[in-house]
Amino acid sequence: MMMGLTSYLLISLFLMICGIIIMIARKNIIAILLGIELILNASALNFVAYSKFVAKNFDGQIFTLFIIVVAAAEAAVGLAITIRHFQISESIHIDDATQLLA
Amino acid sequence: MEYTIGTIAPIILFPLVAFVINAFCGRKLPRQGDWISCIAIFLSFLWCARIFCDFYYNQYSSDFYIHKVFNWIDLSWGTGPSKASGFKVDMGIFIDNVAAIMLLMVSGVASLIHLFSTFYMKGDPKYGKFFVYLSLFSAAMLGLVLSDNLLSVFIFWEIMGFCSYSLIGFYHEKNAAGDASLKAFMTTRVGDVCFLLGILAIWSIVGNVNFVDIYQALHQGSFTTLSIFNITISAASFAGLMIFLGTIGKSAQFPLQVWLPDAMMGPTPCSALIHAATMVAAGVYLSLRMYPLMEAGDLTTLIAFVGAITAFGAATIALVQTDIKAVLAFSTISQLGYMVMGIGVGAYSASFMHLITHAIFKACLFLSAGSVIHSLHDHHTHGHVQEMPRMGGLKKKLPFTFFAMTCCTLAIAGVPFFSGFVSKDRILGDALYWGSKHGTYHWIVPLLGFSAAFLTAFYMFRMMYLTFYGTPRDQAVYDSCHQEKLSFNRNIPLLILSVFTLGIFFSGSLTGQQKVKLPIVKFEWFETLVQKPQLFKFSSFKKENFGLKDTREIKALIPSVYGHNQTLSEQEAHETHHAHFLGAIISIILAFSGILLAFLMYLRKSLDPSNWVNFFPRWTKALKERYYFDYLYQEILIKKVLLRLNYYLAKFDLDVFDRIAIDGWQNVSRCLYRAHRVFDEYFIDRLAVDGSGKSIRLFNMFLRYAQTGKVQIYFLIFLVVLISYLFKLKI
Repeated sequence: MMMGLTSYLLISLFLMICGIIIMIARKNIIAILLGIELILNASALNFVAYSKFVAKNFDGQIFTLFIIVVAAAEAAVGLAITIRHFQISESIHIDDATQLLA
Repeated sequence: MEYTIGTIAPIILFPLVAFVINAFCGRKLPRQGDWISCIAIFLSFLWCARIFCDFYYNQYSSDFYIHKVFNWIDLSWGTGPSKASGFKVDMGIFIDNVAAIMLLMVSGVASLIHLFSTFYMKGDPKYGKFFVYLSLFSAAMLGLVLSDNLLSVFIFWEIMGFCSYSLIGFYHEKNAAGDASLKAFMTTRVGDVCFLLGILAIWSIVGNVNFVDIYQALHQGSFTTLSIFNITISAASFAGLMIFLGTIGKSAQFPLQVWLPDAMMGPTPCSALIHAATMVAAGVYLSLRMYPLMEAGDLTTLIAFVGAITAFGAATIALVQTDIKAVLAFSTISQLGYMVMGIGVGAYSASFMHLITHAIFKACLFLSAGSVIHSLHDHHTHGHVQEMPRMGGLKKKLPFTFFAMTCCTLAIAGVPFFSGFVSKDRILGDALYWGSKHGTYHWIVPLLGFSAAFLTAFYMFRMMYLTFYGTPRDQAVYDSCHQEKLSFNRNIPLLILSVFTLGIFFSGSLTGQQKVKLPIVKFEWFETLVQKPQLFKFSSFKKENFGLKDTREIKALIPSVYGHNQTLSEQEAHETHHAHFLGAIISIILAFSGILLAFLMYLRKSLDPSNWVNFFPRWTKALKERYYFDYLYQEILIKKVLLRLNYYLAKFDLDVFDRIAIDGWQNVSRCLYRAHRVFDEYFIDRLAVDGSGKSIRLFNMFLRYAQTGKVQIYFLIFLVVLISYLFKLKI
């Protein structure tokens, strides 16, 4: 059976929904960061899929490389924020990070 | 002589500067600053004499004039030909022979009266103030004579009116003086309003009010018709009548003569200057200036009748007066009536000559009367005595005054060889000719004129006999009089003036004019210099700017231009001559019979005046009441008509205007205010201002709950929004 664009997109959708559910449901900041990674991967998968089936070139793959780099950098920043937050409030629970409340 | 600022302006400026100095720091000066006023007016006199000599000796023709202007108000814009369209007022000077003679007379009489005032007002608590007014008055009068347009005439006219008002009410502690000053001011105001209307009428027709332009407009026939309330009338008649009404007010002519007798409440020198010699003559002077307008408006008959009625009526009232100044006041009105009559009958130069001669002898008469009054003292009232029944026999005690007054009385009575004869006779001769030319009811004018001449001789000599002859009737008053000594400020002015009551100064030709080669041999310098303005000649000289340099061409008397009666045919000239000859004889007879009658009544006492009084009781009463004019004006016109009108107007004002218009408007605005307040409070404040705040607070309540600070909630909201966008896009 030929793997079509639809199956790629379905997997990508599944990944993104997983990521969103994780971001909303989990209270652990590190888990939320993981959810963000899942969403990023879903989007990277979309790029690749469209590049393969629609544009028929390698732009999507190159873009995916950039996304991976950005995701790594973002994960580093996110972890740094988490550590800093832990230092301040002794917790990595997301409900403790309410400094944005006025 | 050059006519520049330096030679003209000082005439007005000297007295004006004296007025300013005396008004502001007169009290601090020695002698309260009277010497400043006297010197100023004397300097003015010298400057005026210069102008007079220039005109007299250079023999300028009667139509020669000097007209110089400067811009006073210039609201025109731009340059070029459109400049004339703007609003522009020029002021300037206009000197012709009439003005030159008038200037000399005014400044000369005024300086003598200033001198006399230093005697008469001595010891008065308001000594300095008197000279303040005299100076202002002299400046205004000289300015009026020099004026080249009706507007500045009006300005000076009003200044004189103010001075007259202030000087009549000089002793305003006395109620009568205050009332008299108000009466004089209000009565002349009636004439002044008409005068202003006349000026405006001329302005609307000519576009300018200077004499030369008016004459030119008359010559070109610009005066057509005016339409007032859809009634079409002749423009010249309307303007001329209005200006003549100004004359009537100022010169105390027939309907408005009531103020002049009361004006004698003022100090005697001011009566001499203002109410005899100059201000009242200014009205006649204005009419002389505007003579072509009056002629064009067919007003001469009216003017002649007004003058004749005034001359006769005032002369009859003077018969029964007992106050020496009141006699003189009525004789002034009567003589002014002669002048106006002279204008009406076309005796232009005679009328002007009578103005000059009258100014001199009447000023002298008033000053003499002042001298008499000043010397008589009542020990009971501590005042001066003016009543003739309390005088008598003063001839020995006041010899110089007596001499001066005799000369002037002879002059005013029309005795030959005195100035009054020369001028009055010429007016009467012209009136006779005029009457014979027009016939029928026009005979009334010379008839009234001659009757007034008879009455004048009678009442003036009555005054002389009652004052100076006979035995003293009030011994205490007689004893209070000191023997008169010759003093420079009491007698010298009188004697100088009395010299000029001689007719030779006016009838003959003392200098100069004989040199003129004339078609008709005529040596009267007055008639040579003063003639009716001939309109077509008024374009021959250009308007010049009034400046430091004189750019005028000098135009001497040209024999061909000159010529008396040149418009008359030979037959008319013959008839005129005949009328004058007849008039002279009649007036001599009348003058002497008047003097004789007075002599018989008051000196010989062979005729008893009371017989006449008993014979005409009602007329005598009417004369004593001054023909009920005061009653008519005060009791009927003012109290019955004007006060009632005033009452209704006040009622209208209070009940209708105040109640309905003012209060009604107040109610309307109050209602509006209420409506506005409700609207403001409920709609603007509550709904718009507070409502917007509240609505924002309401949203705030919802939004506050969304603002939890929890990132997941924000994310959820973000997702919801994003998804809703997706749905929106799909639909």
